[in-house]
Amino acid sequence: MAILEVRNIVKSFGGLRALQDVTLSVEKGEIRAVIGPNGAGKSTLFNVMTGLLAPDSGNVVFDGEQIIGMPPHRIIRKGIGRSFQITNIFPRMSVFENVQVALFSHHGKSRNPLHLARKFTEIGEETIAILEQVGLAGKYDMSASILSHGDQKRLEIAISLASRPKLLMLDEPTAGMSRFESRETVSLLQRISREQGLTLIFTEHDMDIVFAISEKIMVLQQGAVIADGTPAEIKANPEVRKAYLGEEITES
Amino acid sequence: MDLSFLTVQVLSALRQAAFLFLISSGLTLIFGVLNILNFAHGALYMLGAYFVYALTLHLTGPAGFLIAILAAPLGVALIATVIETGLLRRIYMQEEIYQLLLTYALVLIIDDLAKIVFGPEFKSIPKPEMLSGSVTLFGGTVPVYTLLVVVLAPAVALLLWYLLYKTKTGKVVRATSSDREMADALGINMSALFTLVFAFGAVLAGLGGALAGPVRTVFPGVGTEVIIESFVVVVIGGLGNLWGALVGSILIGSLETIGIIVFPEFEMALIYLLMVAVLVVRPWGLFGRPLKIKALSEKNLAMEAQEISPVHFTVHPAVRWAPLLLLLLVPLFAGRFYQYLLTQIFVASLMAIAFNLLLGTTGLLSFGQAAFFGVGAYTVGLLLTKAGFGTLPALVLSPVVAAAVAGIIGFFCVRLSGVHFAMLTLAFGQLIFAVVFKWYGFTGGDNGIQGIRVNPIPFGGMGALDLGSTQAMYYFVLVVVGLSVELLRRIRSSPFGATLKAIRENSQRASFLGVNIKLYQWTVFVVAGAFTGLAGGLYALMEKSISPEIIHWSKSAEPVFMTIIGGIYTFAGPAVGAVVYVILNSYLVAWTEKWALVLGLVLLTLVLLLPGGVVGYVNEKARQTLGKLRCIHKWPFSKSATS
Amino acid sequence: MAFLDLNSINTYYGRSHILFDVSLSIEKGEVVSLIGRNGAGKSTTFRSIIGLTPPQTGEVIFKGERISGLRAFRICRKGVGFVPEDRRCFPDLTVRDNLEVAARREKEVDSPWTVDRIYALFPRLQEREKNLGSQLSGGEQQMLTIARTLMTNPEVLLLDEPSEGLAPLIVSLLADMILRIRKEGVTVLLAEQNLHFCAKVSDRAFVIDKGSVKFAGTMKELLANDEIKEKYLAV
Repeated sequence: MAILEVRNIVKSFGGLRALQDVTLSVEKGEIRAVIGPNGAGKSTLFNVMTGLLAPDSGNVVFDGEQIIGMPPHRIIRKGIGRSFQITNIFPRMSVFENVQVALFSHHGKSRNPLHLARKFTEIGEETIAILEQVGLAGKYDMSASILSHGDQKRLEIAISLASRPKLLMLDEPTAGMSRFESRETVSLLQRISREQGLTLIFTEHDMDIVFAISEKIMVLQQGAVIADGTPAEIKANPEVRKAYLGEEITES
Repeated sequence: MDLSFLTVQVLSALRQAAFLFLISSGLTLIFGVLNILNFAHGALYMLGAYFVYALTLHLTGPAGFLIAILAAPLGVALIATVIETGLLRRIYMQEEIYQLLLTYALVLIIDDLAKIVFGPEFKSIPKPEMLSGSVTLFGGTVPVYTLLVVVLAPAVALLLWYLLYKTKTGKVVRATSSDREMADALGINMSALFTLVFAFGAVLAGLGGALAGPVRTVFPGVGTEVIIESFVVVVIGGLGNLWGALVGSILIGSLETIGIIVFPEFEMALIYLLMVAVLVVRPWGLFGRPLKIKALSEKNLAMEAQEISPVHFTVHPAVRWAPLLLLLLVPLFAGRFYQYLLTQIFVASLMAIAFNLLLGTTGLLSFGQAAFFGVGAYTVGLLLTKAGFGTLPALVLSPVVAAAVAGIIGFFCVRLSGVHFAMLTLAFGQLIFAVVFKWYGFTGGDNGIQGIRVNPIPFGGMGALDLGSTQAMYYFVLVVVGLSVELLRRIRSSPFGATLKAIRENSQRASFLGVNIKLYQWTVFVVAGAFTGLAGGLYALMEKSISPEIIHWSKSAEPVFMTIIGGIYTFAGPAVGAVVYVILNSYLVAWTEKWALVLGLVLLTLVLLLPGGVVGYVNEKARQTLGKLRCIHKWPFSKSATS
Repeated sequence: MAFLDLNSINTYYGRSHILFDVSLSIEKGEVVSLIGRNGAGKSTTFRSIIGLTPPQTGEVIFKGERISGLRAFRICRKGVGFVPEDRRCFPDLTVRDNLEVAARREKEVDSPWTVDRIYALFPRLQEREKNLGSQLSGGEQQMLTIARTLMTNPEVLLLDEPSEGLAPLIVSLLADMILRIRKEGVTVLLAEQNLHFCAKVSDRAFVIDKGSVKFAGTMKELLANDEIKEKYLAV
């Protein structure tokens, strides 16, 4: 059964058609890549799906429910987590606090103004458990701003996991990482998806990673879907090849 | 209404608009390019007027007057160049509150220096004969000087338009204000351009002062009156937008003139009402655009080590309770003066800590906290003198009423952020000030409320608590403030507090946790307003008389100073700042008249050298020692994490 | 010694290491391509050269003089022109004003660019002379940013992904433009993903991936090298 149905999304900015009739269907537990050259509309699509942008037309159904028109914080509560291309953490808070504050929100405790935050021991344990999952438990008391780039990305994934999403959307999860860090992150994502039945949608420019972990790949170019299929199908698709290498330029 | 009356009024409105435009055009130009809201712009205006005054003492006659009017702005530009290259340049990378504070420190310093050089009294500048007469226009009598100003200001506007749109330097200025990095890559020397723009803005302010000097009087501090009006103008027009400044000046100039004729009581309130109305409908002003939010990497991350997070550390109970114990014992050996001084410090601490729940914890700079302080104080004052309430019920109602007012104001303010948030809180605060100041029938107007009788608090038949003595008041305030501070500490250490901190650090990310940002910001605004109101209520009880000055915006600046002195990212910082501030205030005033100068220099030094404040510095440098001395204790979360 | 030399530069954004020992060398009068996928480090290389994100180690030598460590506006005044990928025209300035604010170094070169010469090269810009930067189409904005940088009279032009997001017809137009710029005596370093576009305009190429240079050679060699193409450029 499809957990996410994106139907005929159209979005224009001024005269520019950023998304032209984009349709996408993702099965529960699937790992799906969305790729395309710069400016293909990947980020716009993610922003529409998480309520940051309103589309001109089309709809998005998540887990049987129409989510277009909801503000981001409500869409999150429905079970869509998101990590960003530009690392998006709480820099002057500790690694622990970064995840703990997300768990407070998830458990509906954020409004509690009178109990000491550190005394929520169950949430504390859960925080440590998530940090262990992403391999940051040993750095739990460090300020997030002084982590390495790879660790910051991992922390961001941990924050997203804390809202216990059914679907996690990742915008270039390995951008700016060393080869070693990327490999670690990729296996982390695979493991989480397998263990928790989590559905993943991600964009990525590193093709090694895209082909290593995706079950299906969608290719966008100038806002339109030019291909959607298994890694093998995508590799063989001449349209995709052209999108990446550029059109043969005929003498003008 | 006849034609002659109309002519006189229109010209008077235009003259007012002309002065406003000269000042606010420079202010908005500087903001557009440097992204700094220059508090000292009013002080530069004042210097323009003083320079004309000083020059006309030696240069007489029409020629001398003309030379003075032209030379004064250049003198102001010279001073502005020194300020930009010597001071402002060091803090372009800092958060906006530090830039605002640095220019505010300059206001204090320049005002006091002016007092030293020119004396504290009002100065009037004589106009040359040919400009002091008046002419008859459509039957109305209009001073020649007014005509001169009304003609000159549009000429300046035209010149500005020419410079910005027709010269290469002007185009470069406009290019830079839209994309600094690109301008840099195209070979434009940013540092030189910033100095040029700041100095040019100062020329406009200086010219405004030079022209206004002969018709308005000059005195130290005149700049602060002018700067708030100019803030209103540029915020209404849209920060950084020159046409906004022009339209804003005409709007405010007309409104002030109409206000004086139609609602003489509430003329002052009208302009703040207009500002509130504009910002509610168009949050970025009439011609403004949303400001680009600085990327996180650009923000100053250096202060990360100053915050001793309540999630990770507990303060040893002895460290927390020892000061309280000590304070309980103070009246045994300290006299009434010291008890009174400490009571003042308690009230100031409560206000500052509540303020810092907004600034330090949530990242919202409110410049209108005096309004809630005043609402609290007037609630107690009015209930005791006019409604015959008991002391305790009146005090209990002070945070309630303040919270209700904060609820309404906060509803509009939390839709904005950064400088716009600060300016809207300022406008609301001044609106309340203006109403209280003039509403003689209800608030007593500028007389305030005198002789508030503080009745003993009955204890259900078991006698009563008489607050008549300084000592009784000391203990009473100590207990109320102590409980409130403990409550505020709890709030900051709670999941709610942690969420506020997350909003401060990255509000977009926080909304992706499913947190309704605006609701949280509104809630904390109301909470801070309530505690500030309580501080105001206590103030009314201890002083037994209140006046509208406690609502004026300069009172709102006090908790900002205290917080910066003590440390913005610490809980105890604002209280420590309150101690320093109140003591400086009490002793310096007795010791020297130049207390604003000293305060200005202290602030300047702190902003430049110790931006994290005293407590922040201690936290950063002594965290390990504090741990070893067991003053703070690290909280173990899990065996696996700590092993 | 080459005209522009990058000697094993390492560049960071904050704490994250982006460029690893990148070395390039470009001769006077060449058009050289720097090819790689999104995020490979092309823009960072350019930002390192122009001084917006200065390298932490290594050096950039231009005409025998070390320029790394200078501020961006100084590097520009030495004769390095930078056209960013996101087409940052000044939105509130007219096309003509966009060009005029950039004019400099007129005395340092033999035949400086003037607005008229620019219009001869980009007739479309003359038609839209009075329009604001924000009113232009994507292709026009791309022309304007290139033209604006030419007004600084650069001896070397850094072009960051000029073909991105443009329709094929405009891309082909752009290729002609670059060849004409080269004829005017300007050395061009071109960052691109579009291999065929590079093949049309440049003689030599560097391939960059994950912040380090993977290939250096002539365009012909690159086109013939299927391994490099598959591994670093294609899908």
